[in-house]
Amino acid sequence: MPIIKQHTIQTVDVDERLQPRDFAGLTAELAADNSTARRWAARDLAEFPEAAGILVERLKREEDTSVREAILTTLARLGDPAAVAGLVECLRSEDASLRNEVIEAMKELPDEVAPIMSELLEDHDPDVRIFAVNILESLCHPQVEAWLISVIEKDAHVNVCATALDLLSEVGTLASRPALQQLKARFADEPYIGFTVDLAIKRIDEN
Amino acid sequence: MKRILVVDDAATVRLYHRNILEAAGYAVDEAVNGIEAMEKALQTPFDLYVVDINMPKLDGYGFLREIRSQEIAQPPAIMVSTEAESNDRHRAYRAGANIYLIKPVKPDGLLTYIRLLLAEERT
Repeated sequence: MPIIKQHTIQTVDVDERLQPRDFAGLTAELAADNSTARRWAARDLAEFPEAAGILVERLKREEDTSVREAILTTLARLGDPAAVAGLVECLRSEDASLRNEVIEAMKELPDEVAPIMSELLEDHDPDVRIFAVNILESLCHPQVEAWLISVIEKDAHVNVCATALDLLSEVGTLASRPALQQLKARFADEPYIGFTVDLAIKRIDEN
Repeated sequence: MKRILVVDDAATVRLYHRNILEAAGYAVDEAVNGIEAMEKALQTPFDLYVVDINMPKLDGYGFLREIRSQEIAQPPAIMVSTEAESNDRHRAYRAGANIYLIKPVKPDGLLTYIRLLLAEERT
């Protein structure tokens, strides 16, 4: 019996905008099958301040890396409370790649992230607190050291403290010294904490 | 001398592991993320990987999945994470980890598992 080849219609990935560029048109296109159309829609939605919510919803299920990048760029450009809240929501995702992408995006928003940083650092979920410390890594903000000191003074979770400690070992000044010593005493049974505190204090004293 | 690749984006963690492993007689190389780890692992054969999960660019799961799909010798891997959820543990094993350890890692625990895994490799 001859094999009958099934002919399928190939969709051409045309890199152009096909829908009206108003909010409704772009919202529809953000759900298109074609990833190029979704990418364009994500980019063009930067012109609409009300777009944060639908972009975040799309981001949670978007699998195409380039579309995810476009959504994150647009959310960073929007930078409003809704966009920042949406990014925070994604920090709770099970998808490690998405979380990392969101952390990178939030690092670019020091002024927008700063007002919610204390809240993030006190989140009930230790993983979110760790991600908040990760955001501080390259968040250009004058309060970074103060936030880190507060974490190692107060947080009960050893890994949240360890993550803050990693960063303090690079950016800490004399202001961190007492909190570092206190941390070493608080987690005296954890060799990693002792090792990293000694390293951080040595670097601070050398400078 | 057995060669171990330590993959972690935190410099202090890499240094901590390096100190423990070198003191125990292993040769250590480092990578700051999964991409750099892939490059090193494809260039040089290692006897074991110690891999963090959360890293930028390519995380620990991604690295293990990629390296396990390559036609090269496959050394055992210890995945190290701050995440204690059983989901993460299962994901790590599915990606190709042999052992899953929760941070902060204690030197004795790490060395015990390394010796166990390297001994298994020799049989």
